[in-house]
Amino acid sequence: PLGPASSLPQSFLLKCLEQVRKVQGDGTELQEKLVSECATYKMCHPEEMVLFRRSLGIPQVSLSSCPNQALQLTGCLRQLHSGLFLYQGLLQTLEGISPELAPTVDMLRLDIADFATTIWQQMEELGTVPALQPTRGAMPALPSAFQRRVGGLLVASHLQSFLELVHRVLRHLAQP
Amino acid sequence: GCGHISVSAPIVRLGDPITASCIITQKCSHLDPESQILWRLGADLQPGGRQQHLSDGTQESTITLPHLNHTRAFLSCCLNWSNTVQILDQVELQAGYPPAVPRNLSCLMNLTTNSLNCQWEPGPETHLPTNITLKSFKSRANCQTQEDSIRDCVPKDGQSHCSIPRRHLLLYQNMVIWVQAENALGTSMSLQLCLSPMDVVKLEPPMLRTLDPNPEAPPPEPGCLHLCWEPWKPGLFINQKCELRHKPQRGDASWALVGPLPSEAFQYELCGILPATTYTLQIRCIRWPLPGLWSNWSPNLELRTTER
Repeated sequence: PLGPASSLPQSFLLKCLEQVRKVQGDGTELQEKLVSECATYKMCHPEEMVLFRRSLGIPQVSLSSCPNQALQLTGCLRQLHSGLFLYQGLLQTLEGISPELAPTVDMLRLDIADFATTIWQQMEELGTVPALQPTRGAMPALPSAFQRRVGGLLVASHLQSFLELVHRVLRHLAQP
Repeated sequence: GCGHISVSAPIVRLGDPITASCIITQKCSHLDPESQILWRLGADLQPGGRQQHLSDGTQESTITLPHLNHTRAFLSCCLNWSNTVQILDQVELQAGYPPAVPRNLSCLMNLTTNSLNCQWEPGPETHLPTNITLKSFKSRANCQTQEDSIRDCVPKDGQSHCSIPRRHLLLYQNMVIWVQAENALGTSMSLQLCLSPMDVVKLEPPMLRTLDPNPEAPPPEPGCLHLCWEPWKPGLFINQKCELRHKPQRGDASWALVGPLPSEAFQYELCGILPATTYTLQIRCIRWPLPGLWSNWSPNLELRTTER
């Protein structure tokens, strides 16, 4: 029997798989650069940032509509899109992080925006676009350089975990 | 000044006629009313000026130059005065051609510079200041709808290529792109391309290498070669397929093609070739199964098969 993902064109899934790998590559590059800086700022131990992490309040992205067994395609696409939309916003808060990191953050934001557009346009094709345009809740403010550095580390690591989940979902959706 | 020239058009097609008239302004009414108005193109006097008195007492001379064959020339209205030629007014005339339709527009997405590089053939020289612009807009599946316009890409003077930076691109959405050329004599547009930047990615080939000798692994068979390749880093996120070609270094054998090789294997055992022979090998890859363009062939790798 055809699974719920059968309404998704194969080219869409192949593009999404390529895009998630591209964003993961960008994310890894950002993490590597941030970690290489940590010695300079003596900020190499994540366990020292637990309180800061809580104060930052990075929302967890739910992909509850995407599990293998009980996939709800419309819900899953919406959750994928809002997760990407959220991380676009979180990366925006890193504006002015440092001249060395700015190009990497910009590329990451552009690639996430591209990926979100691919998913949004597929939802339009399926006629499952939500009535209201997506909105982001309040984004954490990172006024100081220290906060942007730590915020960058945390956003990058959260993003990678989210992308790993997305990659798994897409691989499952792409299975014939 | 004493005279004022007006022309039918300051810019005409090369070889076309141009008509000019010169009026001696009232300011200079004290001049001899029968003095002759002369026309000079560059340094050459031009015959054929038709002179008349206008109702308001001013004098006017009109001339038609049948063929303006200079791409740039200065037309002067002069007066014979006290045995000298006095210049009353001067205009610059230009002649050239409307821009030809730019042809053979093609674009490649460069993953190193992260820009979409387009090039085209501009067509013959127009001899006139001509604005060339690479124009584009975002679209959907079959490029029948127009969405956001993308900022014009203006090539440097005289160049027929332009690069659209990453921030203006949606890598996975179709866009319509064309070249527009415009000068005083007209506007022309190339055929429109409908493309998605990622579908025109120009991959760089991998680097072929010999497989590092492994003491535990058996040596290759006499008619076999073990080889591996190092993928091109910027293209790591792209699923690809590759093909290999090889030929004996000596003699004039043509290339033998092997493929497709799954790109993520990064190694391959080539068998069925001659023992004790030095082979030249090359590899190339293409984005697959999504659309793409073949990379160039890699630099040569020379390897020798073992004796029998």
